[in-house]
Amino acid sequence: MTATAIRPRRAVFAPSLFRIEVLRQLRNPFTLVFTLAMPIGMYLIFGGFAEWGDAPMAHGNTKFQVMVSMGAFGTATAMSSLCSLAASEVRQGWGRQIAMTPLPIGGYAATKITAALAFSSLSVAGVFVAGILTGAQADDAWRWIVSAAVILVGGTLFGLWGMGVGMLLNPDSAAALASIAITVFGFIGNVFMPLDGAMLDVARFTPLYGYVSLARWPITDGQLITGQTDPMWAVLLNIVVWAAIFLALALAGVVRSRRRA
Amino acid sequence: MTTTPAPAPPRAATTTGPAIELAGITRHFGTGSKLVRAVDGIDLTIGRGEIVALLGPNGAGKTTTLDMLLGLSTPDTGQVQVLGSPARRAVASGRIAAVLQTGGLLPDLTVAETVQVIAGLHGAKPRIDDVMQLAGLTDIARRRVGKCSGGEQQRVKFALALLPDPDVLVLDEPTAGMDVKARRRFWNTMRESADAGRTVVFATHYLEEAEQFARRTVVMDRGRIVADGETAHLRAALGGRTVSATVPDTDARSTIADELRRAGADEVRVDGTRLTARTTASDELAAQLLAAGATDLEITAPTLESAFTDLTED
Repeated sequence: MTATAIRPRRAVFAPSLFRIEVLRQLRNPFTLVFTLAMPIGMYLIFGGFAEWGDAPMAHGNTKFQVMVSMGAFGTATAMSSLCSLAASEVRQGWGRQIAMTPLPIGGYAATKITAALAFSSLSVAGVFVAGILTGAQADDAWRWIVSAAVILVGGTLFGLWGMGVGMLLNPDSAAALASIAITVFGFIGNVFMPLDGAMLDVARFTPLYGYVSLARWPITDGQLITGQTDPMWAVLLNIVVWAAIFLALALAGVVRSRRRA
Repeated sequence: MTTTPAPAPPRAATTTGPAIELAGITRHFGTGSKLVRAVDGIDLTIGRGEIVALLGPNGAGKTTTLDMLLGLSTPDTGQVQVLGSPARRAVASGRIAAVLQTGGLLPDLTVAETVQVIAGLHGAKPRIDDVMQLAGLTDIARRRVGKCSGGEQQRVKFALALLPDPDVLVLDEPTAGMDVKARRRFWNTMRESADAGRTVVFATHYLEEAEQFARRTVVMDRGRIVADGETAHLRAALGGRTVSATVPDTDARSTIADELRRAGADEVRVDGTRLTARTTASDELAAQLLAAGATDLEITAPTLESAFTDLTED
């Protein structure tokens, strides 16, 4: 790629592809239910309309804590399902159509991840608007911003997870499995109902625990609804270990698909 | 088939170098006992404006060869040049494009959306309307790709290949999944496109498609080129039809069989009242058989398998 590399259309981001990707997800009932409707619905049940919603936390109320949890859950679902779809599509031959255009595979990946992040932002915005309307409160405005930023940046973790699953599993079931797994991770990871005792001990080792705990940090300082307090190092350790595992999974997927090609 | 012989290929155009040059290409898959020599040493030069059929059974190495031509995979050894540049660069600049058997479409997009996305990537948006029309997609523009028939999906892929206005068009089993009518329509479109001076290379396992469309046919088997020449010559070499009929009259049956053997026809067999022979003069034999009161007359073209047996045996 020497002379043609400087052609302006050999871009790393493809607006026409981005537009169609967002459109595709907006009319995909599965994506709409699991990344937009479900997080908002869960927030309303466990936060917005819950009797304990106004109970105070370290820097705000419980509604805010639940709102952040559901925003993180929606983002993790969106990233894993969209990234596994992207990987499956490449394997099923769409990648070969793209390979015959000037867009390099890196540009394709960048465009897909941007689309997944855009959709995640929509999911977070939906839950946060529901939070604002139902009285989620934080002591300072920056706590909203930092929580949202942690959710979106940390969501890339689950993009890796989705990519690995999409590369390794049967394309017909990969996307569904990747995102249903996120729901399971949510239940066992202290994201929905507050866990305690042995369940909580197990939860600390699951992939959503560290991510959601960090997103909640601006409002909780690590305090749990059940009274315990997590140290920051434990939360970060969870994230680093799972990031390494998901990265390995994604790389294994890439290696395997190369071997098959 | 009454196809008029095509005029000589515009060889003059090759003064600016060949369209495609494959030199000493090999490509293996797997290792050890699972080693598959998909392409086992291929040299092939195709001039600009030529129309070439790549003929071969499944597993002959056609698709692997086309993949390397398109820069989708890299040969283990050898050189690939397309219009004087490496394959990948020719693809990126849209000078070579392809309808791939293995290329997939997204089922949830409409036909028009699919064309628009790829047009956007090529910077070819002004060509969308022309290409949709040429590929016969205007009427199904709003249909979801997943709801399109196999033939319609092939036409969508064809449209995608035409978007960058390529000089070289590669087609891998382009009419797979099309019915007879769609197949004829597809080749008519291709002929127009080729008349405009485009180089066309297509893989097929339909002998008829090579006969009707390609001036030159390259036959592949087990990763090698086993024949390469003018399609008309190749056809003559493979010539002959198998004619078989039920001839109730014993005398007529043995007379015709003897005559055929004397005339040097292959595989003359008499099985009960059934007479079977392979001959280049199938029309004459058929007339003779019918005159002798034969029934259940069958004339079949040689299958590709038998063609390969012939090609690889001599």
